[in-house]
Amino acid sequence: MPWNDNANPGPWGSPPPPENKGPSGPRGPRRPSGPPPRSSGPGGPGLGDFQRRFTQQFNEWFRDPGGRPRPRAIAMLAGGVVGLWLISGFYVVQPNEEAVVSTFGAYTRLAGPGLRYHVPAPFERITKVPVTTLQRTDIGGIPGAEAPDESLMLTGDENIVDLSFSVTWRVSDAPNYVFNIKDPDGAVKAVAEASMREVVGRTALQPLISTGRGQVQAQTLVLMQQILDSYRAGIHIDEVQIRNAGPPKQVVEAFREVATASQNAESSVNVARGEAARIVQSAIGYRAQVVREAEGEAARFNQVYDQYKLAPAVTRERLYLETMQRVLANSNKVIIDGKGTTAPVVLSPDLFRPKTATVNGSVARPAEQGR
Amino acid sequence: MNRTNLIRYAVVAFVALIVLAQTLYVVDQRQQAIVVRFGDPVRVVNALGDNSPGLKVKVPFLENVVKFDKRNQSFETSEEEIIAGNQERLVVDAFVRFRIIDPLRFYTALRDEQVAADRLERLVISSLRQVLGTATSEDIVSRRRSQLTRLIRDDMERRVTSSRMGVQIIDVRIKRADLPEANEAAVFERMKTARQQQAAEIRAIGEQQRRQIVADATKQAEQIRGEGDAARAKTFASSFGRDPGFASFYRSMQAYEASMGQGDTTMVLSPDSDFFKYFERGTGAR
Repeated sequence: MPWNDNANPGPWGSPPPPENKGPSGPRGPRRPSGPPPRSSGPGGPGLGDFQRRFTQQFNEWFRDPGGRPRPRAIAMLAGGVVGLWLISGFYVVQPNEEAVVSTFGAYTRLAGPGLRYHVPAPFERITKVPVTTLQRTDIGGIPGAEAPDESLMLTGDENIVDLSFSVTWRVSDAPNYVFNIKDPDGAVKAVAEASMREVVGRTALQPLISTGRGQVQAQTLVLMQQILDSYRAGIHIDEVQIRNAGPPKQVVEAFREVATASQNAESSVNVARGEAARIVQSAIGYRAQVVREAEGEAARFNQVYDQYKLAPAVTRERLYLETMQRVLANSNKVIIDGKGTTAPVVLSPDLFRPKTATVNGSVARPAEQGR
Repeated sequence: MNRTNLIRYAVVAFVALIVLAQTLYVVDQRQQAIVVRFGDPVRVVNALGDNSPGLKVKVPFLENVVKFDKRNQSFETSEEEIIAGNQERLVVDAFVRFRIIDPLRFYTALRDEQVAADRLERLVISSLRQVLGTATSEDIVSRRRSQLTRLIRDDMERRVTSSRMGVQIIDVRIKRADLPEANEAAVFERMKTARQQQAAEIRAIGEQQRRQIVADATKQAEQIRGEGDAARAKTFASSFGRDPGFASFYRSMQAYEASMGQGDTTMVLSPDSDFFKYFERGTGAR
C-alpha cells in the first residue's frame, strides 16, 4: 500500500537538519551514519540540495564563526515573535457588534465598531456581541415542525388554544448580557413561554383567536421585559408576534363548522332578500297591471255607455247579438225543440268534443278582449 | 558546559513556571472563587457585591481554588402532576432562576452545582405542591397566577434560606400549567360541543331570518296587491255606477264571451231562446 512505502516520511522525512542540534555540533551538514537516506522520497536529490544550501545560509545568518548563536540573531527572532504576538491584538468589530474586553477575566471596557486593539492573550480577551442584530426566538415550533408541547395553552375560560409566537429581541447592554446571565438565549425562551402562558391564562379563547391578539402581544412584551430587566439580562424585547393562534387540531373541525354555519346563514339571508325583492316587485307589478287594466276597462265601458245612452234599446240588442254570435260561432251547437218530445234525447258523444285545437288558438283573442 | 547550563536554565524556568501557575489564578467576571487550604475554605474572591475579578495570588501548593458561577442561572423542573385545591389535576412545570450568593456556604452545603440543582429541584417541587395545593385550578391557570408565582418564590426563598445553601432565589415562574391528557380530551370534547351548539344556533338564526324576510316581503306584497285591487274596485265602481243595469248587462256579455267563446263548449239550445226568436217564428216575430 502506498502509505506503507512512504513509511519513512516523504519530502519532510529527511533527517533533521544539523542546526537543530546543540551548538556543540560540528559545522556543516551532518549525515547520519549508515545507509544514505533513501527516505529523501519523491523530492529526490534536488530537495536535498536545497536543504543543504538552506542550512548553510541559516548558519551564516544565525551563528558566529565559532558555531555559537549570534545574540543579534536571537534578539531578532525574539523580537519577531513578540511583534507577531502584538499584531495578533488587532481585531475588527463589525458595525452590528460591540466587543466586551476583559483583562484576566475582569471587565475593562466596551469597544465599538472599527479596527480595535487589545493586549493579546493571555492578558485581555474579547467577546463580540451582536448588539444591533435582531435575534429571533420561536416558540411553539415553526411551520413544518410544530411543537404541541409548547403551543397548547390553557386559556382564561378553560379552553385550550394552539398558539405559536416569535420573540424578536436584541442585546441592549453587552456587558450585562455577557456577564450577568447564564444562557441568555435560553432565558429569553423560558421567560417568553412563562409570560405568554400567564397572559393567555387571563384571556378568553375567542379574543385570542380573533381580535385580541394585539393586546396579548403587547401584554406579553411588557411582562417579558419586566422579568428580563429584573434579571439585568441586558436584553431588549423588540416585538412579540403571535404567528398563529387557533383552536387545537382536535377541535378545528368544529370551529370550521361554525364558520361554515355563519356563511350558510348569511347566504340564506341573501337568498331570502332576493326572494323578498322578487315577491314585492311582482306585487308592485300586479298593482300596476290591475289598476291600469281597470282604468282601461272603465274607459272602454264609459265609451260604450256614452253611445248606449244615445240609443239604449238598439245598442243593447246589438251588443247581445254580437256577443252571442261570437260565442256560438265557436261552439258546438245542438238545437233541440223540446216541445212535444217525451222521450229523452240521446246525443252522440262526438258532439261533446272540443272543435279543434287550432280553433281554440284563434278564438283565444276575443276572450281576452272581453276580460 | 554550554549544554549543562542550558539544562539548568530549563529546569529553573520549568520550576518557576509551575510555581507561577500555582500562585496566580484568574477569576473571571462571571465567576466567584473560594480559596481552600487543606480542605478548609479560607477566603472568597469576587463574591457577589465584591466586584474584584482578575488575576489573583494564592499560596502555591497549599491552597486550592474552587470556582462557582456568579451569574444568574436557571434550571427547569420536569413536568409534575399536582393536585389543585379543588382536587383537579394539573401538569405544571416551572423554571427557577437563582444565583450563588455565598460560595462558602454553597461549598460546604452542596459542594457542586449538580447537587445544588437536584436539591433545588426537590425544593421547588415541594413548594409548588404546597402552594398550588391551596388554590383552585382556575386560580392557578388564570386569576391568581402571578400572585401564586410570588408565593412560591417566597416559600422557596424561605426554604433555601433556612437550609443555608448560600443560594438566592431570584425568580420562580410557572411555565406550563396544563391539564393532564385525560382531562385535556374532556376539554376538547367540551369545546367541540360548544362549537357545534354555536353552529346550530347560527344556522337556526339564519333560517329564522330567512323566513322573516320572506314573510315581511309577502306581507308587503299582499298590501300592494290589496291596494291594486282596491284601486281597481274604485275605478269600476265609479264608472259602472253610472248605470248599474247596463253595466250588469255589458259585463255579462263580456263574461259569456270570455267563458264560452273558445270552442270547447257544446251548447244544447232551445229554439225558444231570445236569440232564436226570428229563427223560430220568422219575420213576424217581435
